[in-house]
Amino acid sequence: MVPRVSWQWPSAVLRRGFAAGARDALPGFVAGGIWGFVTGIAMVKSGLSENMAVLMTLTVYAGSAQLTSLPLIQAGAPLWLILAAGCIVNMRFIIFGAAMHPYLRHFNWKRRLMLGFVTSDISFVLFMTRYGKRPQPARDSQLGYFLGIVVPGWFNWNLASICGIYLGAMVPDSWSLEFAAILALSAIVLPLLRERPMLISAASAGIVAWMAQGLPLRLGLLVAVVVGILVGMVAERQLSARRGRRS
Amino acid sequence: MPDWWGVWTDQDYYVLGAILMLVLCSLLTRCGYALLGDYLPLSDTVRRALRYAPAAALVAIIVPEVLPWAVGGWPRVDLRFFALLVGALVFLRWRSTVALILSGMVTYWGLMFLVR
Repeated sequence: MVPRVSWQWPSAVLRRGFAAGARDALPGFVAGGIWGFVTGIAMVKSGLSENMAVLMTLTVYAGSAQLTSLPLIQAGAPLWLILAAGCIVNMRFIIFGAAMHPYLRHFNWKRRLMLGFVTSDISFVLFMTRYGKRPQPARDSQLGYFLGIVVPGWFNWNLASICGIYLGAMVPDSWSLEFAAILALSAIVLPLLRERPMLISAASAGIVAWMAQGLPLRLGLLVAVVVGILVGMVAERQLSARRGRRS
Repeated sequence: MPDWWGVWTDQDYYVLGAILMLVLCSLLTRCGYALLGDYLPLSDTVRRALRYAPAAALVAIIVPEVLPWAVGGWPRVDLRFFALLVGALVFLRWRSTVALILSGMVTYWGLMFLVR
């Protein structure tokens, strides 16, 4: 049995942790705000009504999955494919979840559900940088630190996104602001391509996606992902074998 | 759909369905491990394979947008491809998402202005 931890809400340790988290995440909030703003614009520009766009922002809370779904929604892709594409793009959260699990496992399931749902890229990166190497969890300050990143982050994202939705509705279509979504997506991809196998994997996925875009239901997307994973794994093995031979 | 109480079209139900799918997707990917982590050991191979999926999916969404190829037609290079290229170069130089989005949009507007 993992003992359940009890904490009073405004404990001093928790508050200090919260302040430290919010401070560390400040640059992340700026980036997140712009990102949410662009996502808001892109949602209404790809044909969602303002109400639907607000609903999507508040309930989904996943910028890259939302932006990925927009071309699919525009093309009228089947719902299961939207779910699949969203899950693939969000797959990094499974990895985050696996890494964060030792720090969250002592909470009850409702709290784990809530903390899991508000996890963001920035909270994962900052949290693991600070606590990843510490074997003994210092629970109150850790929870405070995590909340300091995710709570302001949630409000920041949603407010920015709602601003984008109502501004986007005012701007004429001829400005093609929905293209900003594609640009924003590429800003997530580019930093990922630093390693050779990742670059090779993404390039092969791109070529397959280009050739397979005539497939019905946008299935080319799934084919491209499968090819991308396989090519990435092979490239990784080949490169590490070559490196092993050389040394 | 003008408001929540107006008449809902098929398209509205479709969009609502899409949103529900994405909520489910958020729950599965973000909370799945937090809830069931004790029963879900991820093998090293699976973990490594999963690393490649997001970049592959994002590239696969971007490519058909900028290099469209309609059924029965010829492959086309959209103006947006060049705008994306400029944005990517700007990003690689300055590492700024804002600079990427701004330079890409400005390039796209410039190209549209020249072509028309």
